[in-house]
Amino acid sequence: MTTQTLSPKTDSPRQWRQAAFAYLLVAPPLLLMLLLIFIPALQSIARTLTVDVDGQVGFSFSRYVAFFQDRISVSNLMFTFQVVFLTLATIFVVCFPLALYLRFAQGRLAAAVQILALFPLFVPGIILCYALIRFLGTRGTLETILNVVGVSGYRTPYLKPEAIIIGLVWESIPFTVLVLTAGLRQVNDSLIESARDVGANDWTIFRRIILPLIMRPVLIAFSLNFLGIFGAYTVPYLLGPAAPQMMGVFMQQTFGQYRRPDDAETQAVITFIICSLVGLLYVRTVAKQRIQQENE
Amino acid sequence: MTTAQPTLASDFWSRTRHSFLATVKRDGFGWLALVVLAMVILGPLYSVVLWAFAERWQYPSLVPTQFGLSFWEKTFSRADIAEALPFSIVLSLTVTALSALICLPASYAFARMRFRGRQVLLLSFLATNAFPRFGLYVSIAVIFFRLNLIGTVPGVILIQLVNTLLLMIWIPTSAFQGVDRSLEEAALDVGASPLRVFIQITLPMVMPALSAALLLTFVNTFYEAQGALLVGLPRVVTMPVLMYSLINSQLVVQYGAIISFVLWMPSLLLLLVAQRLLRGGYLTAGFGV
Repeated sequence: MTTQTLSPKTDSPRQWRQAAFAYLLVAPPLLLMLLLIFIPALQSIARTLTVDVDGQVGFSFSRYVAFFQDRISVSNLMFTFQVVFLTLATIFVVCFPLALYLRFAQGRLAAAVQILALFPLFVPGIILCYALIRFLGTRGTLETILNVVGVSGYRTPYLKPEAIIIGLVWESIPFTVLVLTAGLRQVNDSLIESARDVGANDWTIFRRIILPLIMRPVLIAFSLNFLGIFGAYTVPYLLGPAAPQMMGVFMQQTFGQYRRPDDAETQAVITFIICSLVGLLYVRTVAKQRIQQENE
Repeated sequence: MTTAQPTLASDFWSRTRHSFLATVKRDGFGWLALVVLAMVILGPLYSVVLWAFAERWQYPSLVPTQFGLSFWEKTFSRADIAEALPFSIVLSLTVTALSALICLPASYAFARMRFRGRQVLLLSFLATNAFPRFGLYVSIAVIFFRLNLIGTVPGVILIQLVNTLLLMIWIPTSAFQGVDRSLEEAALDVGASPLRVFIQITLPMVMPALSAALLLTFVNTFYEAQGALLVGLPRVVTMPVLMYSLINSQLVVQYGAIISFVLWMPSLLLLLVAQRLLRGGYLTAGFGV
């Protein structure tokens, strides 16, 4: 990035004109984002905090009190938390070894593993759900295969919380592996070898050398997966149980089936509040990385 | 490579087996990953592809009991599918074109012009990812509800446009930033007009990135189901939205399988250029990384 100071006093008319033109060009997408993200979100937050009594608008937490007094709402929220944490844990348990392997292995086998790990990127969510139903469901492909090799007593995870986790992990593998592998590429081979020379074991090398270097990719993978799972709809709706529901399914039902937009809005704002810190973490981490890249 | 002589067949096999075992030992994790991933990733897709070409498939057969295409005709003679498929394609093309129209000039400005707040404004597009997606859609839908945009095509276009912004701004911005300025300056020096320099020098250099952005935007929009479901129903039904009902009312398994197979085609297009997308770093660009 070139260092250039643009203080109003020293601006030449030409620079000023160029800046004005630039603002004109960047205005349309920014306006769209303002109108479709920031204003709806802020308006929802404001509306859920007010109550209208005979035309008198006043500040009130009543909508939130109602949410937390409703047994079904609370159990759906708790269920969402459980799915988020179990899914996140599974994603990292699966993706970390894969990423480490892909970073350090070479050859055709590693290439094949990479292709398979990235393949879900090219399978849209709705098709994935259909495929998993056919695969995991009763008398599906998995049960058939197990039957052929002589294993009986298969109990399908379809319409159980496990199926949601399987679907969400399936969808998250490519992105997580890509981000972690990219981070691991920054780890220098010679650094690891010199650590090994002075007698460090694998665990020490991982903890002291690799982990600090890939903190940023880990944070990005964590935050985006967290937000993605918390805001998921298709996978929990098609693969999960009818009750308890994840927040996305719950909101859709409240809005679309019961036609209660106000309640759906309260549910949405509650997810905003819960996700706000993680959202900020994501923006901050990506912003830092972006600024560092531009300065290089 | 092992060279095998006919007389030494047993030796060949023992050597092959030995080297195979050695590879497994050395690459144990790789093989394990390959086998497990192949089962978990390809297994579900295997079911769908075979179901799409099955006349009958009775448990416990590993492959369809009878192959055939009769369900293809039945699927596409359904009025809802015949209507939704062309509509979905036109809708995705419209959203992609609008997104390009709005975002490409902006990305040029972000890459090439100096103005106050450039970095912050560019980073603000990360907001599209920083909210739990479905919560945000509900927020938008509540506003659309008041504006009578629920169940309208403009409503669906607007909610789908939100999803395209980050990708359509960030990929082209990086591309414009990566263009070698000295080439452009050289052309200007020999008297080419700025417009000609842009068309003949700048544009060809950013073309791979622009086509990647357009392709990814089109495919992502084509598969976008959640926003369209919330805002579009009951009057606007895209193909992925129709899939929800086909999955939930599974009277005929083949309908869902055939639609999945057909819907999957645009994604296979991406798969063909996957190497290039991967090398350009475009695959993760939609996440801001």
